Amino acid sequence: MSRNPLEFSLSSQMLKPNKWLNQDWFILFLIFSLVSFGLMMIYSASGSMEMVLRQGIFAVIGFVFMIYLSLSDYQRLLPIYLNVFWIGLFFLLVVLMIPSDAATKRWINLGIFGFQPSELMRCLLTISAAAFLSRNPRIAFRDWIVVICVSFFSFYLVFIQPDLGTAIMVLISGILPVLISGFPVSYQILGTAIILLSMPFFWMNLLEYQKQRVLTFFDPSSDPLGAGWNIIQSQIAVGSGSLFGKGFLQGTQSQLNFVPESHTDFIFAVVAEEFGLFGVMGLFLVYLIIAFRLVMIAKKSNILFVKLVAGTFIFLLLTYVAFNTAMVVGILPVVGMPLPFLSQGGTALIINMIMIGIILSFRRVT
Amino acid sequence: MKIKKFFSVKRDSDFNKFIVYLIFPIFLMFVVLLQTINLTVLNGKKYETQSENNRIVSRTIYPTRGLIYDTNGALLVENVPSSQLNLVPERSTNTIEKIKEIADLLNLEESFLLDMYENQIKKSRYPFQPIILAKSLNDEQIALISVSGEKFQGFSVETGLVRSAVNKKSLAHVLGYLGYSELNDTNESSGFSLGNQIGISGIEKTYHDQLSGKLGTRIEEKNVSGEFVRVLSENNAISGKDLKLSIDLNLQNFLTPFFEGQKGALVALEPKSGLIKALISSPSYDPNVFNSSSSLAEIQSIFNNDDGPLFNRATMGNYPPASTIKPILGLAALDEGIVDWNTIIQDDGEFYVEGDPRPYRGWKEDGHGKVNLERAIVESSDIYFYSTAYDLTIKKLEPFLNKFGFGDKTEIDAEESTGLVPNEKWKLGYIGDFWFKGDSINLGIGQGYMLSTPIQISQAIAIIANRGEIIKPRLVEEIDELATEIESLGKVTLKDEKNWEKIEKSMIEVINSSNGTANNIKDSKYLIAGKTGTAQIKSYEDQDYEDIRENPFFRDHALFVGYAPIPNPELLILVIIENGESGSRVAAPIAKAGFDYYLTKK
Repeated sequence: MSRNPLEFSLSSQMLKPNKWLNQDWFILFLIFSLVSFGLMMIYSASGSMEMVLRQGIFAVIGFVFMIYLSLSDYQRLLPIYLNVFWIGLFFLLVVLMIPSDAATKRWINLGIFGFQPSELMRCLLTISAAAFLSRNPRIAFRDWIVVICVSFFSFYLVFIQPDLGTAIMVLISGILPVLISGFPVSYQILGTAIILLSMPFFWMNLLEYQKQRVLTFFDPSSDPLGAGWNIIQSQIAVGSGSLFGKGFLQGTQSQLNFVPESHTDFIFAVVAEEFGLFGVMGLFLVYLIIAFRLVMIAKKSNILFVKLVAGTFIFLLLTYVAFNTAMVVGILPVVGMPLPFLSQGGTALIINMIMIGIILSFRRVT
Repeated sequence: MKIKKFFSVKRDSDFNKFIVYLIFPIFLMFVVLLQTINLTVLNGKKYETQSENNRIVSRTIYPTRGLIYDTNGALLVENVPSSQLNLVPERSTNTIEKIKEIADLLNLEESFLLDMYENQIKKSRYPFQPIILAKSLNDEQIALISVSGEKFQGFSVETGLVRSAVNKKSLAHVLGYLGYSELNDTNESSGFSLGNQIGISGIEKTYHDQLSGKLGTRIEEKNVSGEFVRVLSENNAISGKDLKLSIDLNLQNFLTPFFEGQKGALVALEPKSGLIKALISSPSYDPNVFNSSSSLAEIQSIFNNDDGPLFNRATMGNYPPASTIKPILGLAALDEGIVDWNTIIQDDGEFYVEGDPRPYRGWKEDGHGKVNLERAIVESSDIYFYSTAYDLTIKKLEPFLNKFGFGDKTEIDAEESTGLVPNEKWKLGYIGDFWFKGDSINLGIGQGYMLSTPIQISQAIAIIANRGEIIKPRLVEEIDELATEIESLGKVTLKDEKNWEKIEKSMIEVINSSNGTANNIKDSKYLIAGKTGTAQIKSYEDQDYEDIRENPFFRDHALFVGYAPIPNPELLILVIIENGESGSRVAAPIAKAGFDYYLTKK
């Protein structure tokens, strides 16, 4: 039972009559604005209406998922949540086994669109880990170890696709619930030490292009046409945007294809070039407001599961924003990481909306 | 019960420390913001100039389109250097006016240039990718434009490659031509479509992916005034693959003159491999007009020609198969037990259905007398086949014709139509009437609603030559020196497999027997098996044919299909001459000439 049974029954009764209208309209509006802005940016970057339409369809699907989940009774879903990571694990294995000509195996081709299991996993792993850790009154040490092992296994599956950026995110999505749920500090230090010591091993397992990206990050000018090209060109894009930007569709860097991947991982460069420093600040503000609202929802609850899921999801959202933009402005090496709600890419968009929907469902018992 | 487990104990609000972890990304976002300020405010000027003078540009390198050869290695399609008028729209102002001026200056058709411009400007292009306005400029035009170069900013003369069919008209339908892609044609996979030419018809279309190759890119450094300094890196284009066709150019060129001034089609193929040795559709056109001409009038004249020179009659023309279908219907009647080889039917020149006073006339007024199946094929007795088709009924006729490929594509590597095998359902749907016995009777001589393409008839007869094996017909023998394979599409089985040989024997007698309809092409050196056909295109129930033939367009089509030499056929030839009137007098001699040429040459 929750801390205040009366409050619980009251609120759930109150929810009933106008169930569909009982929404956090403010967050929905902000997400809608972000996605719409993203569609504009994709159009500006690619000039392809078809791409915008595709992404628009994914956005509609995402909204349906988000609103449906936000109204769901997460407590009833807990037994399901406990086991959903098996689905993610299954698809991660499937994607590796499907024969394909491409050098990377990130996608399951479903005909009209591709589906990226690693994106799904970063959502499912968190919910399952949180449900697993909060299923007993006391967390047994063994539980933590189980979650850590599953997380590293999932990380490995994504890492060999190879997709370093998402692999790190998948790892975080499993490890963070462990840390938040009170994993002893001494072991945290031990774990960090082990990871640091195993770095050389991972470095050896990185592909040539991944190593190159990390190396050129430290000195982009050493290779102005190879791996350094992205960084130099996106820095020019951001820098030339100045305070107010060049205006929508006026960004020469992205319009003339100087910035590669400008509709996916480098879409932030288009935002900065066309809307300038103030545009960037506005965008960051929207992300922070969303995060703040979500934190308030989680804070009001007194259920461990809620804290673990919401804490991890919010952390992931902001980390995606931070890593992606840091990579575009050249303060982190280039790894494949989309900007939430803006970058072109259907799976990531839908998964991000599902994550918001799940957090919104936590309002029920607050 | 299970749910309760998760909430059985009061939780410590200490877990709110998850908020602490958020400090990390928020801090990083703050650093990003600082870096953005650094880039925009502190170094904004520097990056602005860098973006304006972005000195590194990436250019597209176009691959060379694959060449096409005939079976003996003779070049059929090549890429010829030509001077073309290019326009980079990003560099020009007042473009429409400038195009009009330049048309005037170079004495080119203004409407053509504007048409080329409007067609390509609408499509997605790479930035600064030139639009080709005109091809095949002559020296005088090149000189004129280089003299007044400054006036026409963005226009330039560049050397490009144009597609050129070496033999012009003789293989136009096989080879096809290039045109500009429609937006929805874009083929993302090869990254080769943006504003580029794609195959519109023929081999150029069906094998576009193999011929086109892959785009390359070259990254160039420019100086401040935009002039080329050096190549920084190059990602080479991959040339398209060369194709070797099964077409024998000698045979093709030998046979083409027979069609001079006539409409018609010819298919010559090797039955055991399905390789097409010659494919003629007459009248023809010069594909180079589409590939390189700068005259709209010249292009329009081909499109507006009433004889349809663009239309590939050999694979897309729908004709009644007429009597050429009789050997197959004979097999049907045998297989269904309607007749055997000894069944005699009295042919008095007319056939009547019970309760219907109208006669179904045979082509020979007095009839052929007592005919068995062999004689019915040799002399092409219509009455015999009226009778067997009447007994077979459409229920048995349709599936049997389908087995021989009628009503469906042959899967040849060219555009083709399906033809038509009518049935009750089709007639009710399209004609709005029930199926009459008379419809089945007409089908017995390959007339009525039935339509077939020349390649279909060839394929059906090739099935007899191959004793039931269905070999897919094909035009391409090798792709980049890699041979394409013989592909079997199945097998037609007969209740009595001996009937293959017996029906072939009847077809040999069509030529060898003194009363055979194609006795005029009998050869002492080798044996031909074949069948003539004369397709009536205007019903003459109330009129005499002599009146009808006053109008040349209503005259009968002449058909002949045959293969030789027996017993190991190397070549099957089908000839159809529209309004040629006589299969034996007009069509058969052309096939004979083809056999003589092909078989004696070997």
